[in-house]
Amino acid sequence: MLLSVLLQAVVSYTGLGAAIGAGLAAVGAGIGVGRIGGSACEGIARQPDAVGDIRTTMIIAAALVEGVALFAIVLCGFILK
Amino acid sequence: MLLSPDFGLLFWMMLSFSIVFFILAKFGFPVITKSVAERASYIHDSLEAAKKANEKVVSIKQECDELVASARAEQVKILREAADTRDRIISEARNQAKTEGMKELQVFKQQLQSEKEQAMRDLRLQMAELSVGVAEKILRSSLGSEKAQLDLIGRLVDEALVSKS
Amino acid sequence: MKDFSRIIVLLFCFVAASALHPAFAAEEQGKHESAAFSAKDVIMEHVTDAYEWHITTINGKHISIPLPVIVVGQNGLNVFFSSKLEEGHGSYNGFYLSESEKYKGKLVEKNASGEEIRPWDFSITKNVFSLLINSGILLAIILGVASFYKKQKKTGELKAPRGFIGFMEMIVMNIENEVIKPCIGKNYAKFSPYLLTAFFFILINNLMGLIPIFPGGANVTGNIAITLILSLFTFFYVNIFGTKEYWREIFWPDVPIWLKVPPFMPIIEFVGVFTKPFALMIRLFANILAGHSIAISIVCLVFITASQGPALNSSMTVVSVLLSVFMGLVEVLVSCIQAYVFTLLSAVFIGLAQVEPHTVKR
Repeated sequence: MLLSVLLQAVVSYTGLGAAIGAGLAAVGAGIGVGRIGGSACEGIARQPDAVGDIRTTMIIAAALVEGVALFAIVLCGFILK
Repeated sequence: MLLSPDFGLLFWMMLSFSIVFFILAKFGFPVITKSVAERASYIHDSLEAAKKANEKVVSIKQECDELVASARAEQVKILREAADTRDRIISEARNQAKTEGMKELQVFKQQLQSEKEQAMRDLRLQMAELSVGVAEKILRSSLGSEKAQLDLIGRLVDEALVSKS
Repeated sequence: MKDFSRIIVLLFCFVAASALHPAFAAEEQGKHESAAFSAKDVIMEHVTDAYEWHITTINGKHISIPLPVIVVGQNGLNVFFSSKLEEGHGSYNGFYLSESEKYKGKLVEKNASGEEIRPWDFSITKNVFSLLINSGILLAIILGVASFYKKQKKTGELKAPRGFIGFMEMIVMNIENEVIKPCIGKNYAKFSPYLLTAFFFILINNLMGLIPIFPGGANVTGNIAITLILSLFTFFYVNIFGTKEYWREIFWPDVPIWLKVPPFMPIIEFVGVFTKPFALMIRLFANILAGHSIAISIVCLVFITASQGPALNSSMTVVSVLLSVFMGLVEVLVSCIQAYVFTLLSAVFIGLAQVEPHTVKR
């Protein structure tokens, strides 16, 4: 979908706004999931025998954070349409 | 357009998901979960029963051992009693034999005594006759009646005996 | 261990199948008359609904499965195959596919004043057909597994299953014991069938959407209507079976009086009742839609660079295939995670609604 945005000739500012919004949402998701992964690694390093629990929690938390980021992307897509 | 739900799709989704949910909630998942729960409780019960059976086996073994030990003690006691009885019987028999022997000895002694006395009496008589004869011979003439002879002899023998003793 | 390797083989087949997207996308180019290749149109065509199931295009000729169209328009009930729309050059019995912005691609008719309106459309579209196929697969799998247990009960010998049935039992019991039981608490057995059905329904629909060829390939869970109904079910479960204490805590929570009387907290809590299932809906929809779009975009890389020389094109093809494989793996992971997260969050919401009155008062 980002590709399609690039392909479209950006003339109106709604397109620009939507594109920047989607980009910022991606940045937010990246930072959020990166922090989750980092704390998960730290937790595993502190207590290696809790690997299973930490891994599961990390994946669930990542899914929730990505959900929020995808809210924003869906909204931007909505504006685009 | 992506974000506006289509009415037909809503209808079909509601219908099919309801039917799927109804069928699975009746014939699908409860069967699976109940079977697994049953299996878990069956395993649990089997384990409990096995543990109880194990305990019972242990206690029965203990009882067996006790029985065997008491039986053995009984055996020892009986043997000892038998030995004691045997000894007792032997000693009794010996005692009895001894007393019998003593009794017979007494009888013999008495017999002997009586025979001795008999023999003494015979001897006395013979002595008396002999001495009478001798005395007759010696005193052939003095002793006329028998009574006077016997009196004299009796007196003489008693004196002899007194002097001997 | 044998089951695990089977699972890996199955997942790899999914990934390999989804990496076949480039092969199937080759025909898309012929479809568009315009000189420039529009990736956006390709994507939109793949993720939106349609009245026929387009499988491939050979030499400019479309090969698609015509699906029945069931509309109740101004002239009553009409049932016809969508191939008739093709034959009648996009129009049949007053119904035609709209080109307007509002109803792009949908069947419309003209009412008395000449404007386009949508009739009552109960058509078996691509998504509906795929939904029915996937529901059939789901029922077949779960009822097949359950019949094993029924047979066992008849013979009376309780043994642990092996192979696929053991795998399914492991998943079902894992969700029941790790997700449903801890989140809901004591009367979890009432809600467990719905949650398990939701999990397997979403999982199978997600995975079938990754297969590029019929009967897979329809973007079922990436459609807002599907996720709307799913979250509606969760909404009803949470609120209809919610205890009195749950409703009391929404409208008269245990907070200081200046937060209750000008109703700040009650309003926030009441809005929260709606936003939680809404978030569920959007999360699943957006994740799956985004996944499909990205996968198709990667494939379209090849065609975008097609006009710019063979060197760039061939290198982009290699990149595209590699990215496609990677994206396929990520998509399988996301499918499983999204099904799990939907079930987990529904269980958490239901558990939160089964709240008992607290005995300790401030």
